[in-house]
Order: sequence, then C-alpha cells, then structure tokens
Amino acid sequence: MKTPVIEAPATRTVCFTDLSPRLAQMKRRIRAGEHHQSRVSETIDVQGECDKDHLSWPQRAARLTRRMCEAQTVIIQPDERIVFTRTVRKVPALYFEAQLRTLIADHTLHELGPISNICANWGMVLSQGLVTRKETALATRQRLGSDPEAVEFLNCAIETIDAVLALARRYAEAARQMGRDDIAGVLERVPAQPAETFHEALQALRLCHAVLWLSGHYHCGFGRFDQYMWPYLKADLDAGRLDFAAAEELLAEFFISLHKDSDLYPGIQQGDNGQSLMLGGVRRDGRPGVNPLTAMVLRVSRKVVLIDPKINLRVDRHTDQQLLELATELTRIGLGFPQYANDEIVIPSLVAAGYDVEDARDYSVAACWEFIIPGQGMEVINIGAVSFPAATDAAIRAGLAAGDSFERIMKRVGDNLQSQVNALAEANRKLMLPPAPYYSVLMNGCLERGRDVSLGLKYNNFGIHGAASANAADALAAVRTFVFDEKRVAPERLLCALETNFANDESLRKELHELAPKVGNHDDYADVLLVKLFDMFADACDAAGGNGRGGRYRAGSGSAMYHVWLARGHAGMREPVVGATADGRKAGEFFSSSLAPSPDVTVRGPLSVLQSFAKIHYRRISNGGPLTMELSESLFRGHDVIHKLTLFIRAFVDSGCQQLQLNTLNVNTLRAAQRHPELHRNLVVRVWGWSAYFCELDENFQNQILGRHVHGE
Amino acid sequence: MAATVTGVVFDIRELTVHDGPGIRTTVFLKGCPLRCAWCHNPEGISTAPQILRGASAERLAGQRYTSTGLAMILNRQGPLLRGESGVSFSGGEPLMQAAFVADTIDQLKDLHVTLDTSGYAREEDFRLVAGKCDLVLFDLKLINAEAHRRWTGADNEPILNNLAVLTELGTPFIIRVPLVPGVTDTDENLRAIASCVSALSVRPRVELLPYNAAAGGKYAACGLDWRPPYDENAALNTNLKPFQELKVEASLI
Repeated sequence: MKTPVIEAPATRTVCFTDLSPRLAQMKRRIRAGEHHQSRVSETIDVQGECDKDHLSWPQRAARLTRRMCEAQTVIIQPDERIVFTRTVRKVPALYFEAQLRTLIADHTLHELGPISNICANWGMVLSQGLVTRKETALATRQRLGSDPEAVEFLNCAIETIDAVLALARRYAEAARQMGRDDIAGVLERVPAQPAETFHEALQALRLCHAVLWLSGHYHCGFGRFDQYMWPYLKADLDAGRLDFAAAEELLAEFFISLHKDSDLYPGIQQGDNGQSLMLGGVRRDGRPGVNPLTAMVLRVSRKVVLIDPKINLRVDRHTDQQLLELATELTRIGLGFPQYANDEIVIPSLVAAGYDVEDARDYSVAACWEFIIPGQGMEVINIGAVSFPAATDAAIRAGLAAGDSFERIMKRVGDNLQSQVNALAEANRKLMLPPAPYYSVLMNGCLERGRDVSLGLKYNNFGIHGAASANAADALAAVRTFVFDEKRVAPERLLCALETNFANDESLRKELHELAPKVGNHDDYADVLLVKLFDMFADACDAAGGNGRGGRYRAGSGSAMYHVWLARGHAGMREPVVGATADGRKAGEFFSSSLAPSPDVTVRGPLSVLQSFAKIHYRRISNGGPLTMELSESLFRGHDVIHKLTLFIRAFVDSGCQQLQLNTLNVNTLRAAQRHPELHRNLVVRVWGWSAYFCELDENFQNQILGRHVHGE
Repeated sequence: MAATVTGVVFDIRELTVHDGPGIRTTVFLKGCPLRCAWCHNPEGISTAPQILRGASAERLAGQRYTSTGLAMILNRQGPLLRGESGVSFSGGEPLMQAAFVADTIDQLKDLHVTLDTSGYAREEDFRLVAGKCDLVLFDLKLINAEAHRRWTGADNEPILNNLAVLTELGTPFIIRVPLVPGVTDTDENLRAIASCVSALSVRPRVELLPYNAAAGGKYAACGLDWRPPYDENAALNTNLKPFQELKVEASLI
C-alpha cells in the first residue's frame, strides 16, 4: 500500500488559487475532527434482530445496510452544499464469532471478510439512478420467480436500495425544514433519479459511496472519475448553469467531504483507505478520454491539499503537456500522488491476461495499484504475496549445501515460487466471499441476472503480489558473481555467513553488498535475474490453473507491506521471515518496496532505474505494482523544474515501465534518512546549483538542509 | 584510436535539472585549474581518485573511463533523453580533459550536449570541445583581474579570451554567475560583467546563481576544513539593474 506523506512541506506556490474561505473553514473543521462530536459510540445491534428473525446471510447483509442507514443522524452544516456525515462509529457484526465459524466451515474469509478492493460502476449508478436499479431488480424477480435464491438476493438488493433512498429522503426533509432548499432539491432527486447536474452527481456519489462503508465494505474506490463525471459537468457548462470556478468549488467540497469519515475506515495505516480514483487514458473504443474535468481534478486536488482522493493518472506518449505539469505540481507538494499508469503497457498486459480489449481500455485501480475493471470484476487482487526473498534464499542455501550449479539453483527458485503460488492457491481454494447485496446494486449484471456479486462477475481473477524482487535478484547476482563466475567465495563460507547473520564475516557482507551487481543500474547481469524471477512467477501462476471461481492467478509486482513484514514478521502472515541474504543484507533489514532497487544500494540514478525495471515482461505481470521513486523536494527548486519533471514522466512512458509512484521527500523523510542512512543512500538533495547525496553531507549541513525544508526557504 | 583515450570522472548523475535544458545526465570530470574560495565540489579539484567519507556513507570519487566506455553508458540512456534533454559535461573543469571529452562527444548518437565550463582552458582545447556542443554554460565570476587572482587563484585572461572565441564559434551559450556574498555580488562586479557581456557580438542570457550556505557541505567528506574567507551569512546582493541598464537579459535561478 502507498504510504502517503500527510504533512506537505511548505512550498511557495504560484498560479494556484486558494480555497474559498468557506471551504478553508470546512477543511479546518474536518481536519480538527470537530464533527466527531456528533458521532455515537454505541454499536447498533443488528445481529440480535437477525437471529430472532432467522435471517439468512444475504438477508443479514441487507439488514445491516438498512439499519446502518437508519441509525445515521442527519447532519447538515450551514456552510455545506454536499452533505452526509457518518454518525455511527462502528459497523456491527452480522454473526457471533462462533456462528460465523460454523457458517464458513472449512472455508476461509479474505482479510476482514466483507468484499473489498473492487470498484463499482459509478457511471451506471449515476446515470440510471437507484429507482431504475430497483425496477431492474423487480423485473428480474418477476422473470426468475421460480428461483428462490435469486428472489432472495433481489429482495435483499431492493432492501438496500430502499435504505439508501430513505436516508436521502431524511436528509432532504431535514434540509427543507432548515430552509436549505438547495440541498433538499438535490436530494429529492438523487440518488433516486438519474443525476442531471454536476452537483447532483457529486451528492449522489458521496451518499452511495458512504453507504458502501456503512455496509462493512472497505477500500472502496472511485474508478474513472473524469470519465463518468464529465457528462454532468459538461451539461452544466453548456447550459450555463455552472462556470469552471463554481464547478471547482463543488468538486473541492466533494474532495473535502471524503475526509469526514475516513478515520473510521479500516486500513493498514491512517490514509490507507483506498479512496483512489483514476484519470485520463483512452475510452472503451480506444479514443482519447481526457476531458476538461481531468485537469480540473488535478487543479482542485492541488488546491485542497489533502490525501484523498488518491489520484492515479493514465499516460501514454500522447499525454497532454499541460496535464503532466498539473500532475507534477501535485508531486511537488509531497502528497505522494499522482501514481502513473502507462496505458501502452497496462492495456496489452490485461488483454494478454484474457480481458476483452474494450474492458482492458476501461481499467482503473483498486485501493493501491492493482488493475481492475470498474463494475466488471469480482476479483480478489491481493490473496497474498510471493516472497521472492524466501524463494531465492532457500534455493541459495539448499543449492550451495548440495553443490549445485547456478542453473540448478535457479531451478530451485522456480520450484519454490511454484510451491508458494500453489500454497496461496490452495489456501484460497475455499475462499468464501460473503454476500453483498448493496455492492451488487452498483455492479454490472447482478440485478439483471439475479445473482449476488460475491458469486462472481465477468472477471474473477486472484492477484498475487510479487514482493521484494530487487533484493532477491541482487542475492542471485551476488551468488552468481562471487561463487560461480569469479569463484572468490567458497560456498561453505557464504553459507556460514548467512547462517550467522555475517556475525564473523563482515568483510564478506561488505563485498556482497558493495561489489556485486545490483538491480537499478541498467546492468543486464543483475537485471536478467530480475526478469527471470518475474517470468518464473508468471509461469507458476499459469501452471496453477483456475482459481475455482472462473478466474486465474495474476502475477503482480507490488509488495504492499511485505517488504517490512518479510524482514520483521507480522501477525498472521503465512510467509516465513527471511534472515540474512546473499546480497549482503543483514537479518531484520527491510526489503525493497514494490519495484525499487534494494533499499541500501547505490545505483546510477533514476534513468538507469527506469531502464532496469523496464526489462520485466509486463505483458505477463497484469496485477500491477509501481516502480517507486523518491524525489527530493529540493529537486523542484528553480525555474522550469515542473516542465523538467514532466520530461521524466515521459521518460517513464518511453522506457516501457508499467506504473510509477513518485514520492517527494519532505522534512520527515530527511530526518528518517539521518537516523537510517542505509535506507536512503540514493537520496539526492539540491544545494545551490548542485545536488549532493544527503548521507554524504556532514551532520551540520544535513541539519542545515533540514532547517531549510522546515522553513520552505 | 578512440578506445585508448581515457579520463577521470567523479560522478555521473542522472536526472539533473540544473545543468542544461530538459532533463540530463551529467558527467562530472575530475580536476580543476581554479581554486575558487567558494568551491562546492572539492572532490572535483584534484585529478586523483579519492574516497569521500560523509557523516554516514562513503564513496569512491574518481573512476577512469575510456571515452568509448563513457559514450556507451550515455548512449544507452539516449532513448530517455530525447528532444531538448541530453547529456552535460561538468566538473571540476571538463576542459582539463578536453581530448577525452571531445572524443566522448564524437561517439554520442543524437544526444544534445551541454558543456558547463569555467572557461579557464587552453584556447585550442576550448575550441575543440565547445565547437562540438549544442550549448555552453559559461561561468563568469570576477571581471577585475586582481580580484579574480585573489579569489580563484588564477588569471581571468584565458577566460575572457575563450568567451570571445565562443561568440565566434557560434555555439549557443548562457553566462552563469555564482553570487558569493561580498565577493562576486558587488555592484561593481555585476556592472563589469554586464558591460563585458553587452560588449560581445552576440547577446547571451545571464543566469545568476544565488549563494547557498551549504556550499561547504562536502569538505569534511574530503578531509578538508571549510573556512570560507568571506562572510557566508552576509546578505546577498541580487541587483539586476546593472544588466537591465545595458539591456542584458539576466535572471536569478
């Protein structure tokens, strides 16, 4: 998962207007949590009622949505135009622990249980309205009257629709009573009816999205926001109902509203809530999809300076220069987004994975980086991670002990990867996805077919992260160089050093670490091993066959938190902790995050990193996982730098890498670099007309730079 | 034979954004004939390889490359350095290794080449390399000959001569002035630079680089003391008037 930098460094800004006083005030209030006082801590009891009425699982899920909607107190702040504030803190359980255990029997649940990390077809929901969705459910119920399962599902779906409509009605009535006819007017129409204005579309989205979270779902994304929202904005602009400034004001308020309840959303850490959206890219028919809203989202995000929504931008060699400059302005302020996806690489990889080309062109991302098709996928994009370091380290140790050739060690790596994939497949063979009647309303075809989303959609693949690939490739490169090519280290010596965590052989560790070839230098010697690791991972996914849900396994290159967990351990993680490794890494030291050179190695620079990682055969790595780079905030000082950084984005596209995550370092990162220089060796800071490796500066100068960053010059 | 030409490089840095147009890969050549009191790249002064020992990391600065080897490294990045982007040669003073730099440039394929130079070089070396470049970033520090000797340890006569040569070569160039408080930023020196530039047969842009008090950051790593003989914290004079008066385009970067 991305680790967003929450505190943006103070930076001089030009040509960006500030938030209006109304929104500045609203942002301050929400950041300060003033609205938390309207929250209630009591958990509503849904379970008792469900037990009493002997409700089935789908019925319970629908009842939960309904009761959660009913339990919300209407909150309308005098300065709000887009409303809904969650007032019930906790989502209650549907079953007692023991009941649930009996229910799932020998099945397993994914993560917290409820469906997460998929993406609704918001465009459909907004353009149809919930009343039409309900009519669809009624028609299907008529048609499938003899199928009790379908009837039950459709009744549940209808119950959730009615719940949302009732909630909207309560808000509308309260607004009317308060004399807020503007809000009342909007909520009397949406989400029941098709949205007709930008304001209506935003309000409908806010409410329908919030109800997903009320229903226990999490990592709920927004999909291709600029694509489905633009028609409403365009209609307003054409009719003269809105101008750009007024539209930006509404959009900014919508973005701010996403922070009202986000502290209640489950995630790995604060900010990891999956409120991601996708911008740009081609349309389903292949024509360019960028529209005026694309740039507006970037401008407004720059103005709002909050971590949600997390913005992804699809790019290709034709991407508009001005759009890239706006995007780079966001990177500059250290929000950690946009994350870029290269259409030229992603779309073919999805097609190769079996997606129809129109659907592949319609891709968005799940919470972090995993490619999914809004409305069309019941995919579980993170059933686990392949631990490249474990596969590699076990092969190296066993191979050296057995007197293997290097080829034989590589064969062991492949076998280990296959075992890991098989184990993940096996562990998820009996994955049980709980019924999700409300989510089903928002997806393609569920109401039409009378089938809950949990039973599957057009795409039903499982995704597997590929964690810490660079360290693993480096370890293999070190063994190949030192033990096999140069024969300067005897297998026994390396084995002993690994087993003792280099306690008695620091000189070997240093050599492995400093002299062996490393991924990130555009050096084929190490890079071919990286490529080979991913090829073998993709082979293993192919060989694992079907996932039992009508899908297959997709290999990915992300690491989520595994780069930390594999080094230090984590409760409930199935993968073993990996000790000292042959790349000269000591036990406990973190691995590389997603796609990045190993944390403590010196590499030539960002272009070589692009070129190293561009060698991976992404056509077979369709689950996503960003190449992750840190730029110093100081790189952005001086004239013309925004333009220059856009050239780097273009270099990313030209290189043929798949996905790029750029982080701008702020003072916190620099402090961390002082404490852990080994993790930040490539950190470049700009000083005067030159740049330096931060860790090479003496402490006084480091502090000076830190001071400068604190004060933003 | 090309492969036999070698040179010493103390760093090759990628994604540099201040050494020429677009994004660049900059080659820092080791060795410099000047001894500027404010030098911020002390590892670039000596031609010999040396180990930099920073507060928390060390690195060997100074590696010998053949021109063919260096050109190969740079050419491999060509696909990512298209258009205005390209490679830059900086230092140290790259013209101290003019034959090596020239030979490397000869082997580059379709890359925009920028030379970042102090201008202190033999005229033939200057002609050789500057003539092969697409852009020259030419430093002008002090116009007063005596002051130049005092603060850089060398005469500025070769520099001014090469500046004239540059106008005649026709290679586009930008004048760069490091602003050092009380040394190069005096109204007198700025006026002299403006007048020197305005007297040229072409009219280049002038970029003024404000002093940064972290300039001495790498001295400790080089095993040197940092004792600048001027007041680092003195207010910087960034008066652009002398340039404006003579219609010389100048900006602070």
